[in-house]
Amino acid sequence: MSEEILRTHLQELRRGTAVVASLVALRRPDYGYALLQHLAAHGFPVDANTLYPLLRRLEEQGLLTSEWNTEESRPRKFYRTSDEGETVLARLLDDLAAVQTSVAGLIEGDHR
Amino acid sequence: MSSLTDRYLAATLRAVPAPRRAEISSELRAAIEDMIDDRTGAGQDAEAAEREVLTELGQPERLAARYADRRLQLIGPTYYLVWQRVLRLMLATVPGTVGVVVGVLEATVGDDRGRAVGVGITSAFQTAVQIAFWVTLGFAVLERTDTSLNLPEWSVDQLPEGPAERDVRLTDTCASVAMLLLTLAFLPWQHFQPWVSDTDGDRIPLLDPALWSSWLPFLAAVLVASLVLEVAKYRAGRWTWPLVAVNAALDLAFAVPVIVLLLTDRLLNPELVRRFDWLRTDGHLDTVARVTVVVVAAITVWDVAENIVKARRHHA
Repeated sequence: MSEEILRTHLQELRRGTAVVASLVALRRPDYGYALLQHLAAHGFPVDANTLYPLLRRLEEQGLLTSEWNTEESRPRKFYRTSDEGETVLARLLDDLAAVQTSVAGLIEGDHR
Repeated sequence: MSSLTDRYLAATLRAVPAPRRAEISSELRAAIEDMIDDRTGAGQDAEAAEREVLTELGQPERLAARYADRRLQLIGPTYYLVWQRVLRLMLATVPGTVGVVVGVLEATVGDDRGRAVGVGITSAFQTAVQIAFWVTLGFAVLERTDTSLNLPEWSVDQLPEGPAERDVRLTDTCASVAMLLLTLAFLPWQHFQPWVSDTDGDRIPLLDPALWSSWLPFLAAVLVASLVLEVAKYRAGRWTWPLVAVNAALDLAFAVPVIVLLLTDRLLNPELVRRFDWLRTDGHLDTVARVTVVVVAAITVWDVAENIVKARRHHA
């Protein structure tokens, strides 16, 4: 099995989990780079050039709200998961759990 | 603020829609500075850290496309198949037609045949390039404006009938069409450009000129109908019973008049027969007529039988 093929499949599997991870992590308001490090520390390595545009898109979709914090030395944009974001997140987490259950069921050969 | 980051921001923001530029600018600048600070905090040289961070963010146009949610492709999966089909269809039909028409026009206006061929090929090529450009441009614009073509959804009813491999091949159809066109062209050609001249140097048509007011237009019409049938057959991809029936009718409509005319000595030009002594002696004319009749009849029977066999094989 070539590294290249494995990488593509892992990438496919990970795609979408960045959204779930961001929505969960941003229940506590945070800014772009801090979120990136926070996610990486918890096993969700996301590229900076993927995450920053993603945050903007989630904000446009109303799943995140944002606020500029000018109290510190450098003005930063803080994101927070909105009520709508919570609703979507709940559905996404349900689906993630369902995928896990299904995979486990398949592995055990339990067809019900 | 170092110039490298400024240049990176400028390059990125240029490709981002204007209303969002200011906000993306401040946010991205803060993010870049955070990333640089993180690296210098770990003891890295500021300049090297900046280069590393900007390299990690990647090509500015690519990043901007992500911000603007813009697709980095000329024609995406939505339109690719339609684009391909339209392009194929147009390239297969239009340049050839234009080339032939322009070439023929050039040949009739001027005397230089070689030049006419060149002009025909050039215009066919130019037409092909124009088609490829405008069709692709049109679909690229659709892709970027997110215009919906409201194309009908694919359904199983669109599956081609019958087996995937065609019973009627393009090469066969082309050969048949070429034969029919040659036969069709032969009718006026033998009248206006015959290869036999009489003693005065006047040209003698091969077929009886009197037939132009009776059977020759009819035969020409049958040939044109056969051309239409060839196209219909190719479109159907196989022999169907209606096609077999029409083909048999057209075969007979051509063969029967030819045979009757041959047997009653009305097909060949009497002038021509008079010119060749050999034809008049020992009943040679009758022999030629009989052999031709047998050949015409054999070809007709063979053609009809072959089509019936093909149609049966398909419906079996």
